[in-house]
Amino acid sequence: MSIKTEEMVLNMGPQHPSTHGVFRLKLHVNGETITKAEPVMGYLHRGSEKLAENFIYTQFIPYTDRLDYLNAMTNNYIYCAGVEKLLDWEIPERAEYLRVITMELNRIASHLVWWGTYLLDIGALSPFLYAFRDRDICLDRLNEISGARMTFNYMRIGGVKWDAPDGWIEKVKESVKELRENIAEYDRLVTGNEIFRARTIGVGKLTKDQVINWGLSGPIARGSGVNVDLRKTEPYSIYDRFDFDVPTREEGDVFARYKVRIAEMHESLKIIEQACEQIPSEGDIIHKKGARIMMIKPPAGEAYTRAEASKGEIGVYVVSNAKTKPYRVKLRRPSFVNVSILQDMLVGENIQNLVAIFGSLDVVLGEVDA
Amino acid sequence: MFRLLKGFGITLNYFRKRKVTIQYPEEKVAMPERFRGIHRFFPDKCIVCDLCVKVCPTDVITLTGKKSEENPKKKIIDTYNIDFQGCILCDFCTEVCPTDAIVMTARYDNLSSFNRSTHFKDIEWLTNNHAYGYYEESEPAPEAGRRGEVK
Repeated sequence: MSIKTEEMVLNMGPQHPSTHGVFRLKLHVNGETITKAEPVMGYLHRGSEKLAENFIYTQFIPYTDRLDYLNAMTNNYIYCAGVEKLLDWEIPERAEYLRVITMELNRIASHLVWWGTYLLDIGALSPFLYAFRDRDICLDRLNEISGARMTFNYMRIGGVKWDAPDGWIEKVKESVKELRENIAEYDRLVTGNEIFRARTIGVGKLTKDQVINWGLSGPIARGSGVNVDLRKTEPYSIYDRFDFDVPTREEGDVFARYKVRIAEMHESLKIIEQACEQIPSEGDIIHKKGARIMMIKPPAGEAYTRAEASKGEIGVYVVSNAKTKPYRVKLRRPSFVNVSILQDMLVGENIQNLVAIFGSLDVVLGEVDA
Repeated sequence: MFRLLKGFGITLNYFRKRKVTIQYPEEKVAMPERFRGIHRFFPDKCIVCDLCVKVCPTDVITLTGKKSEENPKKKIIDTYNIDFQGCILCDFCTEVCPTDAIVMTARYDNLSSFNRSTHFKDIEWLTNNHAYGYYEESEPAPEAGRRGEVK
């Protein structure tokens, strides 16, 4: 006797705890196998690119905080770097170091959120608490220098807003030691765990071709053996002065992405440590014209800059028509590009693996919808 | 199986380490000096230059000035309102203020309410929003210094 089966359409989201935001996934399922997946986005759309056209250049910086709110420093940086490229300004040495230290601290904080919430998604509760304890160390340091815990608004066109407070660099050095111990502990706590390994090894495989064809970047690409890290391949800011490795894995599964991110946190700690040693003890922190934020007026032209955010390659394209407001700002958001792989990657997967795969992409919905 | 137990070992180890939890409503986190909290306004310092209104990305500041009675050439502040429904606490208003008439306190917990209209704060509320830089209310209200060094 044959049983009549039919395809079922299942909506995951827009309110679903493992999407970390408002994201809807239209799934066509045959039994437990996904036959088609269609990401529906735009629930958090705020029109950031259009808003930028009505702002003077500096006013848009707090809005870049709200793209990828877990890694706001790099967003701040890349927008400022885009405008600086138009202006052709030289950034003071100390400002560059402060930028690098804050960006790398923020990268660790972002990866820690991923680490905690990903394990929460696949059913482990306590790692979340460990991750947020350590993330708080990073956020405290960033709070002391920028005055906010997530939406920093710290960079300015031509430099940074505030110099480091007294003793901040020493505090960062101590935090690095503490974080290094704590992150090493994660390996003992989770990485070796048999249940975790069974859940992640071999799940959600991405081939090198898929990564390149879909334009993926960040830890997802490096987990599939694509050795691309803009800090190394196209050093921006002062990244060419530091000695660090780019962790890559060949497997391309969820576990590989996990390992890449853990290794990346250690590399970031290495960069912070070196930057704290090399930072000049005093000096300007902003270009002499940058402090007058109402007066910034780049010459007509266009510039594209890109940087390595915690989620992947972030880019900003700024067009100026020699007025105080930008003519056009285009943002290349890594999460938006990375999330598009879902429609290709989920076909043929089990519905049980869906959350494990989706979580491993480390998507932030503020960035997907902009 | 061995690795699983190793993980449990780490968890057990934490019994003898210090606690990191903060019992929030009873115990409060002291924010650093630069923290961008709820604004405080000093009416006597304000010169009605309108810069904070111009720089505000969300257009939540409205102000009006009037002629000073002692010196007719000078303007003094009459009304000053911030609509905290839209304020993103970006700090641009304090950054451009030439006289530090508007500053940001380290306070973060006195805005929640049951009513949207109560988020509209007027000059009186903003002037009396003490607790500058510290959590506790201290008498007399501490003098506001320049936070950070760079403008």
